[in-house]
Amino acid sequence: MLTTELLTKSFATRNAVSDISLSFPQGQMVGVIGRSGAGKSTLLRMINRLAEPTSGRITFEGRDVTALKGRALYEWRATCAMVFQQFNLVGRLDVITNVLTGRLYHHGFASSMLQMFSAAERAFAIRALDRLGMAHTALQQADTLSGGQMQRVAIARALVQEPRVMLADEPIASLDPLNAKVVMDALRTINREDGITVICNLHTLDTARSYCDRIIGLKDGVLVFDDVPAKLTQETAREIYGAEADDAFAEGLTSTSLGGKPAKERLTEADIAQRSPLGFAAS
Amino acid sequence: MTDATLATRSGESDAVTTFEQHRAELIRSRRAMNLLFIALFAAATVASIYVSRFYPDRLASGLPRIFEYFGTIMPNLELDKLFVGRGDDGRAVAGSIVYWYSDFWVYVRLIFETILMALTATILGAAAAFLLCFPASRNLAPNTIVYWISRRFMEICRGVPEILYALILVFAVGIGPLAGVVAIAIHTAGALGKLFSEVNENASMRPVEGIRGVGGTWFEEMRYGVVPQVMPNFASYTLLRFEINVRASSIVGFVGAGGIGQELNRVISLYSDDRVVAVLLLVVILVTMIDLFSERLRTHFIGKENFR
Repeated sequence: MLTTELLTKSFATRNAVSDISLSFPQGQMVGVIGRSGAGKSTLLRMINRLAEPTSGRITFEGRDVTALKGRALYEWRATCAMVFQQFNLVGRLDVITNVLTGRLYHHGFASSMLQMFSAAERAFAIRALDRLGMAHTALQQADTLSGGQMQRVAIARALVQEPRVMLADEPIASLDPLNAKVVMDALRTINREDGITVICNLHTLDTARSYCDRIIGLKDGVLVFDDVPAKLTQETAREIYGAEADDAFAEGLTSTSLGGKPAKERLTEADIAQRSPLGFAAS
Repeated sequence: MTDATLATRSGESDAVTTFEQHRAELIRSRRAMNLLFIALFAAATVASIYVSRFYPDRLASGLPRIFEYFGTIMPNLELDKLFVGRGDDGRAVAGSIVYWYSDFWVYVRLIFETILMALTATILGAAAAFLLCFPASRNLAPNTIVYWISRRFMEICRGVPEILYALILVFAVGIGPLAGVVAIAIHTAGALGKLFSEVNENASMRPVEGIRGVGGTWFEEMRYGVVPQVMPNFASYTLLRFEINVRASSIVGFVGAGGIGQELNRVISLYSDDRVVAVLLLVVILVTMIDLFSERLRTHFIGKENFR
């Protein structure tokens, strides 16, 4: 159980996020919607502690996360993986090393400075890559990949952290519709198979509707909607998106249309069976 | 759409006139600033000519004396004896190359020592610069105190010329290459550290944030987020510094800190004869060779970056 209590982030003139109190049961897939600048990113970054809350509290399984420092803070970040809109991979390192950086919390100073990862860790990383269909790129330099491939590598990096929570900040905003579907399917699969709580910032309503168990709507940093997707009426959506409403709906119909059926129905057994346990040697 | 149709639409032509007005204002204000700077620059130039007494007639009268000096240190080579070797008694014949370069192997040994000094100093200095440059980068420093200390430390390192450090160190550790190496390494640490930190400040922060997000420490952020990005530039700057250090290590010998400079100083102050040219010629050849070699290597490094 992850909770936030009256979480607030203030900048000089305004509140980016005001008094957000939420609780996320373990294993839920949550979509956070809202127009640009509504505070979605700030909320996620505060949960991961990449941004410091001005006031309020975050707890995970009863433990206060807001006050963590030093090694305990690194541990929390390792537990609470983050996937970024711009992937934030190290372009000049190869894919496998990028994924292995997800293990850094478990390394001492010397072994991490010397890039010494164990064979077991490498195997773990390759399996994570293989789950996302990226094992064949393991030895390529990361900046030779396409956007969709980079995002899958970034998700693999998040996976090897063995996280309990995965935060995804606009994971598909920089991707074309096909790659967007691949990435969202991957997040959904991880959520279902590994029981990882996934909290995902999404710009388009349609994506949130078809992938998430629960939708949270933010407007100007204030919580305006928190319920199952079915309860999200047209009026509420219009209120959340304001002037951008037509944009958000139109996009749902055209460019990033991901099909009407929920992901769990579209993901067949065959899709999951396709993954060989060690695709690296084969491909 | 033609220009005519564009102009007829009143909404757009309004935007154009406002834009043109703003543009004209901007150009006017810039022109005033430019004129001011040109006037200041001219005034400073005139003042500096007056202070340094950089007058053409002084230069004209002084120029021949430069050639006079070169006249005294030119070797007396005689064409018919040019390639005559040493006689049976082991004495070289005056006017031959062998006579001119009678100390050739001493020079070679010292030039080799000079290269080794430059190499050692560059490695030591670059290592120190590498460690210093991360806390000294505005975007990477963990806090302002560390940033401030490392910046000031590097300024002290590079603010003092090598020859001064060499002078102090010769006094401390005695005559010889050790003093020279340490002196050049200190200066290198400061100069390279500044260049390195500027490279760091241009690095993308996205990978750094990525590493922070997985729970990496500050050192891991640097190691994985920054170092892979900046390494080719670091290598290129270090090679450039090696070229500079070869020149520097042939100078520090003047204060007794080892290398070919020690010999150059000796021949200038004791003999001031053809041996000065003999040593100078070797130094010029050495520096040119190192420059050519490291330029090749550098373009190899950067070339790989830019044309990939």
